[in-house]
Amino acid sequence: MLVLLFIVFAGLAVGCAVSMVAQRNPLYGAISLIGVFISLACLYVTLAAPFIAAVQVIVYAGAIMVLVVFVIMLLNVEEEERLPLRLRSLIPIAVGLAAILFAEAAFIIFFVQASPATPTRNISDAGLTASIGAGLFTTYLLPFEITSILLLMAIVGAIALARRGGLLPQDAVVVPGAQVLARDVLDPLAPPEAPPIVAHTTTEVERQLGLEDVRHLVDDE
Amino acid sequence: MEDLKHLVLLMTGILVAFTVVMTMVAYTVLAERRVLGFIQGRLGPNRVGPGGLLQPLADLIKFIFKEDIVPDKSTRFVYFLAPVIATVAALMSIVVYPFGPDIHLPFIDKTIQLVVARFDIALLYVLGVTSVGVYGIALAGWSSNNKYSLMGGLRSSAQMMSYELALGLGLIGVILQSGTLDLYSIVEQQAGHLGISGWNMFWVQPLGFLIYLIAAIAETNRVPFDLPEAETELVAGFHTEYSAMKFALFFLAEYVNMFTVSMLATTLFLGGWNGPFVHQLPWLGVFYFLGKVILFLFLYIWLRGTLPRFRFDQLMSFGWKFLVPVAIINIVITATIQWTGFFDLVGKYLKVSTGWWG
Repeated sequence: MLVLLFIVFAGLAVGCAVSMVAQRNPLYGAISLIGVFISLACLYVTLAAPFIAAVQVIVYAGAIMVLVVFVIMLLNVEEEERLPLRLRSLIPIAVGLAAILFAEAAFIIFFVQASPATPTRNISDAGLTASIGAGLFTTYLLPFEITSILLLMAIVGAIALARRGGLLPQDAVVVPGAQVLARDVLDPLAPPEAPPIVAHTTTEVERQLGLEDVRHLVDDE
Repeated sequence: MEDLKHLVLLMTGILVAFTVVMTMVAYTVLAERRVLGFIQGRLGPNRVGPGGLLQPLADLIKFIFKEDIVPDKSTRFVYFLAPVIATVAALMSIVVYPFGPDIHLPFIDKTIQLVVARFDIALLYVLGVTSVGVYGIALAGWSSNNKYSLMGGLRSSAQMMSYELALGLGLIGVILQSGTLDLYSIVEQQAGHLGISGWNMFWVQPLGFLIYLIAAIAETNRVPFDLPEAETELVAGFHTEYSAMKFALFFLAEYVNMFTVSMLATTLFLGGWNGPFVHQLPWLGVFYFLGKVILFLFLYIWLRGTLPRFRFDQLMSFGWKFLVPVAIINIVITATIQWTGFFDLVGKYLKVSTGWWG
């Protein structure tokens, strides 16, 4: 029964992975990648690691890939043209790395698993939620906290980088007719009692936000 | 042989749960139309069958026989895939909810559990399956090749991502307090005086309950958070280009989502099947459970009849600047109280003296 499930989900995972690389439409590639993540989660369940499986679906399939799909939809990316391969010199290196990967897999299958020191039955409860939680908050507390600080830094850094320059993109167009915008939509730092912005064009909005100088600075660069 | 027996049992369980949920979903649609009618001072559909009771059947037949229009410039494969993802993701989570306590069948002398699949990480499974449901709406909006659909799809993915965070953070209080992710154990822990006083909603997680309720309404894209299909600005949002049975699938997914979200709220905060005299008559538990779910569904309809819609920036700032911080505060409070052992004390007081009815 387990073998059958393994064959089904492993096949799905490999198939989706191949399809992800082969698809020329980025959205189809993203959908294939979601398929890979979900098949992997199912494999984790058959390996008695339900917590990892759930987290795999929630974090990768449910959050990260939604962002990827979101960006593809926003940018409306067209199908990719098949360009002549520029980095031809990298092919031998890729082949070498792939060979090492296969050798590792073969080593595990033929030597590690055959060794009498490897437990043959699933005797550990490492995949269970309780043991993962206990491990994270006792033995591995420091790495856990460092990881969270690292992620926080990444978030703050991304915002700091993205906020440089004007708040509105250069080619943003405000639809003709007076627009009334709550000030905190465009400027999160505005005090709550600041009056709303009434404007006809993007330039007017920027003038009211005091962003003209910033744009000039960006233009000069 | 043992495997096969297990499989047949599982399939029967799934079939029963599916039938119960589908029937109730069909009648939720009817109830919504009639209650909305009463709220607005009219009658609502009451012509098909006695009091309109056969209306869901008539609607279904209409959906099946309507012309199925596929837009010329749509991305075919994704256009067909989207309603399937939405419906499957909505239906997948119904297997983990405990509909009632263990029931002893008198004639064949067997005890059955009224939950299709009971496992360690049921709550995480529910969150995972719901988070995949976003794709149904987002892909529908993109593949229709229509700007209103696209806007609806974008709005919904942003909205569901944001409120999923608040929803998950709101649930952490319950998990902290009960120490398990297994829904069945969480329900069992909520027994108290008359099966009522132990509910998480009352004295351990009132704030968590409110956060969950608000975030859940936003997750299901219902009034006042129904921006993905705001008809005054986006025609019909992500399903503008969908017709006949494909539209019906989205419709179904929305109502099944409402139903599962209500079941989760009942299980985690309203004591699931707990209620007076459940120990003597286990069957009562099923009615208590479904009754509480119906309360939530009524709340949904009531809100739709009374509240206006949020503006999109209000929605986002409410989610990120209010709901998420409050949820984090709730976690801190719960963890502190848990650490001081207050819950154990109160729990002991509430459960030791269950009296003659216990």
